[in-house]
Amino acid sequence: MSAILPLLFLLTALSGTAVVLVRDPTRQVFVIAVNGLVLTILFDALQAPDVALSELAVGSAAVPLLYLVALMAVRNQLPGKES
Amino acid sequence: MSVVSNILPYAVAVWLFGAGLYGIATSRNLIHLVGCLGVCQSATYVLLLGLGYRWGSIAPIFYDHPPGTPAVDPVMQALVLTDIVVGATLTALLLVLTIQVYKRSGSLDPEKLRPMRARQGSDRAEGSDRGHDGKRTVL
Amino acid sequence: MTPRIRVALLALAGVVLLPGAAAVITGLPPFGATIAQYGERINAITPEARHVANMVSAINFDLRGLDTLGEEFMLLAAITGTVVLLRGRRGEGNTERALRRPGRAVIPRSEAVVLVCRIAGPLTALFGLYVVVHATVTPGGGFQGGVILASGTLIIYLGEGYAGWRDAVRSHWLDGLEGGGALLFTLCGLAPMLTGAAFMQNIMPLGTFRDLMSGGLMLVENLGVALAVAGGFTQLFLEFMEETREADELDEPGEESA
Repeated sequence: MSAILPLLFLLTALSGTAVVLVRDPTRQVFVIAVNGLVLTILFDALQAPDVALSELAVGSAAVPLLYLVALMAVRNQLPGKES
Repeated sequence: MSVVSNILPYAVAVWLFGAGLYGIATSRNLIHLVGCLGVCQSATYVLLLGLGYRWGSIAPIFYDHPPGTPAVDPVMQALVLTDIVVGATLTALLLVLTIQVYKRSGSLDPEKLRPMRARQGSDRAEGSDRGHDGKRTVL
Repeated sequence: MTPRIRVALLALAGVVLLPGAAAVITGLPPFGATIAQYGERINAITPEARHVANMVSAINFDLRGLDTLGEEFMLLAAITGTVVLLRGRRGEGNTERALRRPGRAVIPRSEAVVLVCRIAGPLTALFGLYVVVHATVTPGGGFQGGVILASGTLIIYLGEGYAGWRDAVRSHWLDGLEGGGALLFTLCGLAPMLTGAAFMQNIMPLGTFRDLMSGGLMLVENLGVALAVAGGFTQLFLEFMEETREADELDEPGEESA
């Protein structure tokens, strides 16, 4: 029990760094979703089930979807612009 | 080992905040920048929940355990809970602003943004000017 | 400012601030040793005083209900700002029907996907409702349940396609849900004042501990939050989706609402 929490903290630091280092927004969306999942597991291990449930719904489903749709909106602007 | 595990959560929070700031400073794409801001935000979750944790305590829900069992700090959890949900809507707001920036200037690169001019209704014309500057739209 | 100067400035700020951060970290209580007195007292007193099992919900909806009211209006303001920005150029007239991109091929989806989504969508919505109504006894509440409810409508989108989704989800109903939820929360604060109690004082019967109907006024406030969050997030999804649909119709703004 006492070993799993430090490991989860290190994993969180790793996945957060990955979100920053992945420069391509299309790939970054999936890293953000994975980061949300890692945070969910960490919160659950920290005895915070309420927060874990919230992070699971928001961080690994709702927010990545918003990013995807924003990317799609930007990409759709490309051909029709200034025509 | 004990010294490391005593400060590890706080160090991780500092690291996440610093990494997010580094991403914001070096980002060349506004959507990527919003993602880095999310990393900064997750640093606050880690810090608050790390402060509220106590070894051997249960979650602050007294359904299976009788009231009086040692539990972790519920105040921190309430803070983080609302933070996550309201933060998601703010992320949506930032993404919409990003889309608007792209529509106005034709680029997602913060380096290519120019101060807004006082003239009204000339956004389209400026966008096409920029196209002739030889700068490409990046995506 | 070039990126190089900016990174140099950031590094300088980091070097200056790092000793301060290190001092704060070593000054904090060691991880896992103790918790703040406020939380300790809440854990000790609230189960008797409010008859609820979930301390986090008790703080959100009762002990610090005023803060949650502020959060609720932040949510409302953020979603209103998003919707205003997205609708600003498009106008309100065309939000009732699905816009279509002429250039995009319509890919037929397999019957298995439709079937799975028709089964999973209502189940997800049911789970969201379960999480909402059990706010005071088990982990969950209006915030989490509202987001799960909104995700349930997205599964309908996966199964039925965009046009079917737009037929099922009405934009103006979502406006009403979101604003109505915030109004309900505000009324929960004001109503006790009519009886001479303080703002948001829990004057309703508290119910029995560990029962679904426990917590009094918290149940109503929780419902208000659930309505606002579910309506708000669905509205966000809907307006974002709409944004991807009309790119090719930029040049003829008059045609869109016809």
